[in-house]
Amino acid sequence: MTRTSVRSAVRVAVVAVLSVAMLVPMYIMVVNAFKPQQEILLSPLGLDLATATTEHLAAAWQNTSFPVVEGYAVTLFLVLACNVVAIGTSVPAAYAIARTPGPLFRFLLFFFVAGMFVPAQIILVPAIFVLRATGLMGTLPGLVLFMASTMIPFTLFVFSGYIRMLPRSLDEAASIDGASRQRILWTIVFPLMRPIVATAFILNALSAWNDFVSPQLILGPGSEFKTITTGVYAAVSTYTTNYEIVFPTLLLAVVPILVIFVVMQRHIMGGLSAGAVKG
Amino acid sequence: MARTTSSRRGFAGSLVSGLMTIPAAAVYTGLTVVPVGFAVYYSFTQYNGIPSQPPTWVGFENYARIIQDPIGDLRPAVVVTALIAVAGAFLVNGAALGLALLLRRTTPFNTFARVVMFYPHVLSALIVGFLWQAILGPQGAVNNLLESRGASSLPFLADPDWALTTLIVVIVWAQFGVQLVLYLAGLQAVSPELQEAARLDGAGSVQVFRHVTWPALAPTVTVTIVTSVLSLLKVYDVVLGLTNGGPGDATQTWAYEILAVSFANNKVGLACAQAVLLVLVAGILSFTIIALRRRAEEGAEAVG
Repeated sequence: MTRTSVRSAVRVAVVAVLSVAMLVPMYIMVVNAFKPQQEILLSPLGLDLATATTEHLAAAWQNTSFPVVEGYAVTLFLVLACNVVAIGTSVPAAYAIARTPGPLFRFLLFFFVAGMFVPAQIILVPAIFVLRATGLMGTLPGLVLFMASTMIPFTLFVFSGYIRMLPRSLDEAASIDGASRQRILWTIVFPLMRPIVATAFILNALSAWNDFVSPQLILGPGSEFKTITTGVYAAVSTYTTNYEIVFPTLLLAVVPILVIFVVMQRHIMGGLSAGAVKG
Repeated sequence: MARTTSSRRGFAGSLVSGLMTIPAAAVYTGLTVVPVGFAVYYSFTQYNGIPSQPPTWVGFENYARIIQDPIGDLRPAVVVTALIAVAGAFLVNGAALGLALLLRRTTPFNTFARVVMFYPHVLSALIVGFLWQAILGPQGAVNNLLESRGASSLPFLADPDWALTTLIVVIVWAQFGVQLVLYLAGLQAVSPELQEAARLDGAGSVQVFRHVTWPALAPTVTVTIVTSVLSLLKVYDVVLGLTNGGPGDATQTWAYEILAVSFANNKVGLACAQAVLLVLVAGILSFTIIALRRRAEEGAEAVG
């Protein structure tokens, strides 16, 4: 064997071992979701097909503290609604900031970008008082507005950077033809922004999907609306050693997002690196 | 005459532009800027969050309480968070850069490996915490395996020092995929001609990395350090799932202290002072890192 082929064999072996290490927790979760507690404790890695059962999975599905279908519906609604608010408000604002010269608009950009350094869950405590004062506490609109406000800084920042790279001659030609700025924005500029809108959508969607603190504190633990994360918390947090509950519940919570991820992996990982390069 | 028209049009244009920023500014101001203002105000008061009992002004008392820490209940969270941020940032970036170098060529095997390295990031941190709790807990999968082989169990989550180490490793496991993707994107920007030229000049792969690849990666390194430190400073969900802050206060992070201790015990003034300090630390750290990295990035321009 030549030196390069030895080296590439070592490289493949290292990566393979690390990949297995990354996947072991998923394997443990999947096999144990089909076993009774006693068997989970006795042989955590095996799966005896003779005694495998979907009983606990069915119980987790019917658990009233984590209504799975509704949890998915609420979470999906949050993903879409937050993105509509964050992207819908950031597009015109970023366009105005990118296309208007002057110190006022430079300051506005700085004002928005400063929000990227404010962690959402840290500002949640005082935000609760604002939501209470406006009657939005405990409601889905309140939650959507709060989560969208934490997405606006990044979204607006990457949008304004992207619009700056689009040729100004496009807007100028349209404005000579008499089109209004709103029309220029939505019919000419916005379609050109598709790649960066996709990036922002994916990153915002991931953070909305996985957010636990905002829905838990804004909707409240007793809320009729449960997201996937607050539902899992309600179902699992007091039974962390009852593995008959833990593993099937976690399995139900992660399978759809993992399927979406595997199908969309190129777009998700590509969107992330595009966002970083532009940001 | 022509000048007045153009300046009037400029003014009208600015007005329209200003109007276009209003929806975003309203949402962002109402639920991020105003809360920051409230946090600053409440941080100077004693307030239990009950509307009928208005906050009372106490000046810097909350800040003095945090800094002097008379009953020794706040400093552990600062130490835990600092350890997570420093150790986590090194491990996350080391693992991500190492794997990015191994996986930089796009082959089907490497694409598969990238997906495998990245997938924990699409799971919520709370679920990651619960999952590892079930694997490493006293009754968890690993300890049951050890006991069934006759070995003694390991206190992954039961011993304070072990628990903090476990927490850091779990965070790294869940997070380094993001930095890996950023490094892979950065590596694509490194000029292959330059690397090839260095190799032709007789440089070994270590030398090529040190003198060509690493300097050219400088801007990426800045981004990955800042993003990883920012996310490590606010670690909360994974703690809730994995250890719930325990044993004792061994894994209580600063964010955990704010949300699950101060705020949960109706100490809104103290919670807000802690939040203000964390935002300040995050901002100062980010700007310091960016300023310190500027020199390395100037080197990158010279190489690129």
